Amino acid sequence: MREEFKLLVALQDLDIMIREAEEKKTSDKFKDMGFQLDGLEELQKGRAKLAEKIPVALRNRYERLAGHYSMAILPVTGNKCLGCFVKLPTSFFSSAYSSELLTCENCGRLLFIP
Amino acid sequence: MESKKLVSLFQEDLCIFSLRSRKKSSVLLEMVRQLKASGKIADERFILEMLKNRESLGSTGLGLGVAFPHGRSIAISDLTVLFARAASGVDFESLDGEPTRVFFLILAPSEKGAEDYLALLSQLTSLVQQPETLKKLYEAKNFEALQTILGGNDE
Repeated sequence: MREEFKLLVALQDLDIMIREAEEKKTSDKFKDMGFQLDGLEELQKGRAKLAEKIPVALRNRYERLAGHYSMAILPVTGNKCLGCFVKLPTSFFSSAYSSELLTCENCGRLLFIP
Repeated sequence: MESKKLVSLFQEDLCIFSLRSRKKSSVLLEMVRQLKASGKIADERFILEMLKNRESLGSTGLGLGVAFPHGRSIAISDLTVLFARAASGVDFESLDGEPTRVFFLILAPSEKGAEDYLALLSQLTSLVQQPETLKKLYEAKNFEALQTILGGNDE
Protein backbone atom coordinates (compact mmCIF):
# COMPACT_ATOMS: atom_id res chain seq x y z
CA MET A 1 0.00 0.00 0.00
CA ARG A 2 1.30 3.47 -0.84
CA GLU A 3 2.63 5.58 2.01
CA GLU A 4 -0.05 8.26 1.75
CA PHE A 5 -2.82 5.64 2.00
CA LYS A 6 -1.14 4.24 5.12
CA LEU A 7 -1.10 7.70 6.63
CA LEU A 8 -4.78 8.16 5.81
CA VAL A 9 -5.64 4.84 7.44
CA ALA A 10 -3.61 5.81 10.53
CA LEU A 11 -5.41 9.15 10.61
CA GLN A 12 -8.78 7.44 10.45
CA ASP A 13 -7.80 5.03 13.26
CA LEU A 14 -6.87 8.04 15.34
CA ASP A 15 -10.14 9.80 14.53
CA ILE A 16 -12.09 6.75 15.66
CA MET A 17 -10.13 6.69 18.93
CA ILE A 18 -10.74 10.41 19.51
CA ARG A 19 -14.45 9.98 18.73
CA GLU A 20 -14.74 7.11 21.21
CA ALA A 21 -13.03 9.21 23.89
CA GLU A 22 -15.23 12.24 23.18
CA GLU A 23 -18.60 10.50 22.93
CA LYS A 24 -20.17 10.29 26.36
CA LYS A 25 -21.79 6.91 25.77
CA THR A 26 -18.52 5.20 24.84
CA SER A 27 -16.24 7.12 27.18
CA ASP A 28 -18.52 6.33 30.13
CA LYS A 29 -18.20 2.62 29.31
CA PHE A 30 -14.41 2.88 29.27
CA LYS A 31 -14.37 4.81 32.53
CA ASP A 32 -16.69 2.25 34.16
CA MET A 33 -14.14 -0.41 33.25
CA GLY A 34 -11.41 1.63 34.96
CA PHE A 35 -9.72 3.24 31.96
CA GLN A 36 -8.54 6.83 32.17
CA LEU A 37 -8.96 9.05 29.12
CA ASP A 38 -7.02 12.09 30.30
CA GLY A 39 -4.74 12.39 27.29
CA LEU A 40 -7.31 13.58 24.75
CA GLU A 41 -5.51 16.87 24.16
CA GLU A 42 -2.24 15.00 23.58
CA LEU A 43 -3.99 12.72 21.12
CA GLN A 44 -5.43 15.67 19.22
CA LYS A 45 -1.95 17.20 18.93
CA GLY A 46 -0.70 13.87 17.56
CA ARG A 47 -3.56 13.90 15.07
CA ALA A 48 -2.62 17.37 13.83
CA LYS A 49 1.01 16.29 13.34
CA LEU A 50 -0.03 13.18 11.45
CA ALA A 51 -2.45 15.15 9.24
CA GLU A 52 0.37 17.51 8.23
CA LYS A 53 2.25 14.61 6.67
CA ILE A 54 -0.58 13.88 4.22
CA PRO A 55 -0.67 15.78 0.88
CA VAL A 56 -3.12 18.68 1.23
CA ALA A 57 -5.50 17.67 -1.58
CA LEU A 58 -5.80 14.12 -0.25
CA ARG A 59 -6.17 15.31 3.32
CA ASN A 60 -8.91 17.76 2.36
CA ARG A 61 -10.71 15.01 0.50
CA TYR A 62 -10.51 12.78 3.56
CA GLU A 63 -11.67 15.54 5.92
CA ARG A 64 -14.66 16.30 3.68
CA LEU A 65 -15.70 12.64 3.59
CA ALA A 66 -15.03 12.17 7.31
CA GLY A 67 -17.53 14.97 7.93
CA HIS A 68 -20.20 12.82 6.30
CA TYR A 69 -19.21 9.28 7.13
CA SER A 70 -17.77 7.56 10.20
CA MET A 71 -15.45 5.68 7.82
CA ALA A 72 -14.05 7.76 4.95
CA ILE A 73 -11.47 5.25 3.72
CA LEU A 74 -12.09 1.54 3.48
CA PRO A 75 -10.46 -1.56 2.06
CA VAL A 76 -12.21 -3.30 -0.82
CA THR A 77 -13.30 -6.79 0.12
CA GLY A 78 -15.72 -9.09 -1.65
CA ASN A 79 -15.99 -6.76 -4.67
CA LYS A 80 -18.06 -4.32 -2.64
CA CYS A 81 -17.64 -0.94 -1.06
CA LEU A 82 -17.84 -1.70 2.67
CA GLY A 83 -19.36 1.72 3.23
CA CYS A 84 -22.46 1.55 1.03
CA PHE A 85 -22.24 -2.16 0.05
CA VAL A 86 -22.68 -1.39 -3.64
CA LYS A 87 -20.88 -3.77 -5.99
CA LEU A 88 -17.85 -2.22 -7.63
CA PRO A 89 -17.17 -2.36 -11.38
CA THR A 90 -14.71 -5.01 -12.56
CA SER A 91 -12.35 -2.26 -13.77
CA PHE A 92 -11.54 -1.62 -10.10
CA PHE A 93 -9.72 -4.88 -9.88
CA SER A 94 -7.43 -4.54 -12.88
CA SER A 95 -3.74 -4.30 -12.10
CA ALA A 96 -3.67 -0.76 -13.47
CA TYR A 97 -5.68 0.42 -10.48
CA SER A 98 -4.48 -1.93 -7.78
CA SER A 99 -2.00 0.56 -6.33
CA GLU A 100 -4.30 3.57 -6.66
CA LEU A 101 -6.64 5.14 -4.19
CA LEU A 102 -10.06 4.60 -5.69
CA THR A 103 -13.42 6.24 -5.22
CA CYS A 104 -16.72 4.47 -4.79
CA GLU A 105 -18.91 5.84 -7.58
CA ASN A 106 -21.98 5.44 -5.41
CA CYS A 107 -21.00 7.03 -2.08
CA GLY A 108 -17.69 8.73 -2.86
CA ARG A 109 -15.72 7.01 -0.09
CA LEU A 110 -12.01 6.41 -0.64
CA LEU A 111 -11.21 2.77 -1.32
CA PHE A 112 -8.01 0.80 -1.56
CA ILE A 113 -7.24 -2.77 -2.50
CA PRO A 114 -5.38 -4.28 0.46
CA MET B 1 -20.57 -13.18 26.10
CA GLU B 2 -20.56 -16.63 27.76
CA SER B 3 -17.43 -18.43 28.93
CA LYS B 4 -17.50 -20.82 25.96
CA LYS B 5 -17.51 -17.92 23.55
CA LEU B 6 -14.83 -16.09 25.52
CA VAL B 7 -12.41 -19.01 25.41
CA SER B 8 -13.08 -19.53 21.71
CA LEU B 9 -11.65 -16.08 21.01
CA PHE B 10 -8.22 -17.19 22.25
CA GLN B 11 -5.76 -19.04 20.03
CA GLU B 12 -2.56 -20.80 21.01
CA ASP B 13 -0.54 -18.91 18.40
CA LEU B 14 -1.84 -15.66 19.88
CA CYS B 15 -0.40 -16.34 23.31
CA ILE B 16 3.02 -15.42 24.68
CA PHE B 17 3.57 -17.15 28.00
CA SER B 18 6.96 -15.63 28.64
CA LEU B 19 7.46 -12.14 27.25
CA ARG B 20 11.08 -11.31 26.53
CA SER B 21 10.58 -7.53 26.56
CA ARG B 22 10.91 -5.48 29.71
CA LYS B 23 9.87 -2.01 28.51
CA LYS B 24 6.42 -0.76 27.57
CA SER B 25 7.22 0.07 23.94
CA SER B 26 9.03 -3.22 23.35
CA VAL B 27 6.22 -5.23 24.98
CA LEU B 28 3.77 -3.65 22.53
CA LEU B 29 6.13 -4.41 19.65
CA GLU B 30 6.61 -8.03 20.74
CA MET B 31 2.86 -8.56 20.90
CA VAL B 32 2.24 -6.89 17.54
CA ARG B 33 4.98 -9.04 15.95
CA GLN B 34 3.21 -12.11 17.28
CA LEU B 35 0.01 -10.90 15.61
CA LYS B 36 1.90 -10.60 12.34
CA ALA B 37 3.56 -14.00 12.75
CA SER B 38 0.15 -15.57 13.26
CA GLY B 39 -1.16 -13.93 10.07
CA LYS B 40 -3.70 -11.75 11.87
CA ILE B 41 -2.25 -8.53 10.50
CA ALA B 42 -0.29 -7.68 7.37
CA ASP B 43 1.37 -4.48 8.52
CA GLU B 44 2.78 -4.10 12.03
CA ARG B 45 3.03 -0.33 11.84
CA PHE B 46 -0.69 0.50 11.75
CA ILE B 47 -1.44 -1.52 14.84
CA LEU B 48 1.66 -0.47 16.74
CA GLU B 49 0.98 3.23 16.09
CA MET B 50 -2.66 2.82 17.05
CA LEU B 51 -1.74 1.08 20.32
CA LYS B 52 0.86 3.73 21.17
CA ASN B 53 -1.70 6.44 20.48
CA ARG B 54 -4.13 4.66 22.77
CA GLU B 55 -1.53 4.61 25.53
CA SER B 56 -1.06 8.37 25.14
CA LEU B 57 -4.78 8.77 25.86
CA GLY B 58 -4.23 7.00 29.19
CA SER B 59 -2.36 3.88 30.23
CA THR B 60 -4.28 0.68 29.62
CA GLY B 61 -2.39 -0.81 32.56
CA LEU B 62 -5.34 -0.77 34.94
CA GLY B 63 -3.44 -2.09 37.93
CA LEU B 64 -3.56 -5.45 39.72
CA GLY B 65 -0.74 -6.47 37.38
CA VAL B 66 -2.98 -6.49 34.29
CA ALA B 67 -3.07 -4.34 31.14
CA PHE B 68 -5.56 -4.21 28.29
CA PRO B 69 -3.95 -2.54 25.27
CA HIS B 70 -6.79 -2.13 22.77
CA GLY B 71 -8.16 -0.30 19.78
CA ARG B 72 -9.98 -0.45 16.48
CA SER B 73 -8.42 -0.35 13.03
CA ILE B 74 -9.23 -1.31 9.46
CA ALA B 75 -5.91 -3.16 9.55
CA ILE B 76 -7.62 -5.98 11.45
CA SER B 77 -10.50 -8.01 10.01
CA ASP B 78 -11.88 -9.81 13.09
CA LEU B 79 -12.23 -9.30 16.80
CA THR B 80 -8.85 -10.53 18.05
CA VAL B 81 -7.36 -11.07 21.47
CA LEU B 82 -3.75 -11.84 22.28
CA PHE B 83 -2.73 -13.05 25.74
CA ALA B 84 0.74 -12.36 27.07
CA ARG B 85 2.41 -12.95 30.39
CA ALA B 86 5.58 -11.61 31.99
CA ALA B 87 6.20 -13.63 35.15
CA SER B 88 8.41 -11.03 36.79
CA GLY B 89 6.38 -8.06 35.61
CA VAL B 90 7.01 -5.11 33.30
CA ASP B 91 6.77 -1.38 33.90
CA PHE B 92 3.70 -0.58 31.79
CA GLU B 93 3.01 2.75 33.52
CA SER B 94 0.03 1.14 35.21
CA LEU B 95 -2.42 3.24 37.17
CA ASP B 96 -1.33 1.72 40.51
CA GLY B 97 2.37 1.99 39.65
CA GLU B 98 2.88 -1.75 40.07
CA PRO B 99 4.56 -4.02 37.48
CA THR B 100 2.26 -5.58 34.87
CA ARG B 101 2.33 -9.36 34.61
CA VAL B 102 -0.61 -10.18 32.35
CA PHE B 103 -1.68 -8.55 29.08
CA PHE B 104 -4.86 -8.91 27.07
CA LEU B 105 -4.36 -7.13 23.76
CA ILE B 106 -7.72 -6.59 22.11
CA LEU B 107 -8.22 -5.43 18.54
CA ALA B 108 -11.38 -4.92 16.56
CA PRO B 109 -12.15 -3.92 12.98
CA SER B 110 -13.19 -0.29 12.77
CA GLU B 111 -15.74 -0.83 10.02
CA LYS B 112 -17.88 -2.90 12.37
CA GLY B 113 -19.59 -1.65 15.52
CA ALA B 114 -17.81 -1.30 18.84
CA GLU B 115 -20.30 -3.45 20.77
CA ASP B 116 -18.48 -6.82 20.69
CA TYR B 117 -15.17 -5.18 21.41
CA LEU B 118 -16.51 -3.24 24.39
CA ALA B 119 -18.31 -6.36 25.66
CA LEU B 120 -15.09 -8.37 25.51
CA LEU B 121 -13.12 -5.64 27.28
CA SER B 122 -15.80 -5.42 29.92
CA GLN B 123 -15.84 -9.18 30.43
CA LEU B 124 -12.06 -9.40 30.77
CA THR B 125 -11.77 -6.39 33.09
CA SER B 126 -14.43 -8.02 35.31
CA LEU B 127 -12.67 -11.39 35.19
CA VAL B 128 -9.45 -10.01 36.65
CA GLN B 129 -11.33 -8.55 39.60
CA GLN B 130 -11.66 -12.12 40.92
CA PRO B 131 -8.53 -12.66 43.08
CA GLU B 132 -8.38 -16.42 42.47
CA THR B 133 -8.67 -16.01 38.70
CA LEU B 134 -6.06 -13.29 38.71
CA LYS B 135 -3.61 -15.47 40.65
CA LYS B 136 -4.12 -18.28 38.12
CA LEU B 137 -3.55 -15.88 35.22
CA TYR B 138 -0.25 -14.76 36.76
CA GLU B 139 0.80 -18.41 36.81
CA ALA B 140 -0.60 -19.58 33.44
CA LYS B 141 2.30 -21.26 31.67
CA ASN B 142 0.56 -22.80 28.68
CA PHE B 143 -2.57 -22.63 26.53
CA GLU B 144 -4.34 -25.46 28.35
CA ALA B 145 -3.97 -23.63 31.65
CA LEU B 146 -5.31 -20.46 30.08
CA GLN B 147 -8.30 -22.31 28.59
CA THR B 148 -9.08 -23.80 32.00
CA ILE B 149 -8.95 -20.39 33.66
CA LEU B 150 -11.21 -18.88 31.02
CA GLY B 151 -13.75 -21.57 31.63
CA GLY B 152 -13.33 -23.53 28.42
CA ASN B 153 -12.77 -26.85 30.17
CA ASP B 154 -15.77 -26.43 32.43
CA GLU B 155 -18.28 -26.79 29.60
